[in-house]
Amino acid sequence: MSATSESEIHLLIERARAGDARAFEDLARREERALYRHALRIVGTNSDAEDVVQDALISAWRSLASFQGLSFRAWLFRIATNRALDQLRSRKRRPELPLDPPDDDEVTWAEPAAPGPDLAQLAGDREALAVVETALGTLPAEQRTALLLRDVEGFAYEEIAVITSVEIGTVKSRIHRGRVAVRNVLIARGWRGPEG
Amino acid sequence: MQHPHADLSAYIDDSLDPAAKAAVEAHLVACAPCRAHVAQLRATTALLQALPDPVPARRLVPRLVAAPSWLAPLRTLMTLASGAAVFMFIASAMLASFGTSASPGAATTALERGAPPAAQQADQTAARGAVAPAPTATPAPGAAFSAAGPSATPQPSVSGSPEAAKRADAAPTAAPQATALDSNTAQEAARAAASERRPQLPSPWVWLGLAIACGAVALALNRRLNVSR
Repeated sequence: MSATSESEIHLLIERARAGDARAFEDLARREERALYRHALRIVGTNSDAEDVVQDALISAWRSLASFQGLSFRAWLFRIATNRALDQLRSRKRRPELPLDPPDDDEVTWAEPAAPGPDLAQLAGDREALAVVETALGTLPAEQRTALLLRDVEGFAYEEIAVITSVEIGTVKSRIHRGRVAVRNVLIARGWRGPEG
Repeated sequence: MQHPHADLSAYIDDSLDPAAKAAVEAHLVACAPCRAHVAQLRATTALLQALPDPVPARRLVPRLVAAPSWLAPLRTLMTLASGAAVFMFIASAMLASFGTSASPGAATTALERGAPPAAQQADQTAARGAVAPAPTATPAPGAAFSAAGPSATPQPSVSGSPEAAKRADAAPTAAPQATALDSNTAQEAARAAASERRPQLPSPWVWLGLAIACGAVALALNRRLNVSR
């Protein structure tokens, strides 16, 4: 993806919009894996995530004429995210978790119980990554989605607001709450912050 | 002191407006717990970024490009070619294993053409000559017949060994003598033909290889056609 310049992608988009299926396949293939990991962390199972991405890409091809404003990548993520959340709602796999909890600004910060390994040095730690993955799974879907779009996919707050169809203030709140929740799980497991 | 907790994530994402950013920076200078929180949130973000990349088990990009229209006929052609090659393999293998039993058939044909018994003998010898030098190779009696047949027939009109034809012309009344001479010439011609023929004959394994190759191409085409449906 990085090997292709912005103008090449723009050209592919133009060709795809003109009906060139091969150009669209090219574009879709660039985002296939990112869309899959995103969908997988929202819906939770491989087969559901594969279905979500496949459906989203077919839907994107059919509604290519309506693509405007966003970056193409953000547009694909918008379609896939909506599908993934729809899938989650229809399956009700996690009925105990509300999709969108009430937004109150006060977030609880768990404090380290005992000194443990430094959080900043855990990035290569498999166990820590597994804990993060589990912690993500316990987040409300809307928080999880916003956090993934920000920290894994690298979208800007403004883009996330458009992708998830909410106000930017809500995006800010969801990302923050989700991030603090993951941090709290890590702290509870005995890790301490870089300066804690 | 009022902690700007709600802004800390936006602060590390550089998504605060300048005024709010300045306020957070000013607060962090004075507040160690908030500095710790910022560091922990940064570390959490780094962990999220380091999460392993799951890979889908199947292709998720829909195949929108239709297969070229010549692909389906080519698949049919390849399937038929594969079948024909299998038939050729079986046929040539059978001919190879029953090679010697086919020579009387060649002789019968020679008789039907009115060749004297001597020619019959010559024919058999010729057929044997074709088989004997290469028992492990692939003797095709059909080919042996076509090579030996005309040269053993003492008729001038038949295109074959020119020597045989000339001798038959020279002594049309002395048939026995001519056929005796003819049988010698026929033997020589057959031997020469047999030694020439060996490298030209495709082995049954060549047919088998061809069958497998055509079959593989047909299967690959079939897969491609099914996927794009």
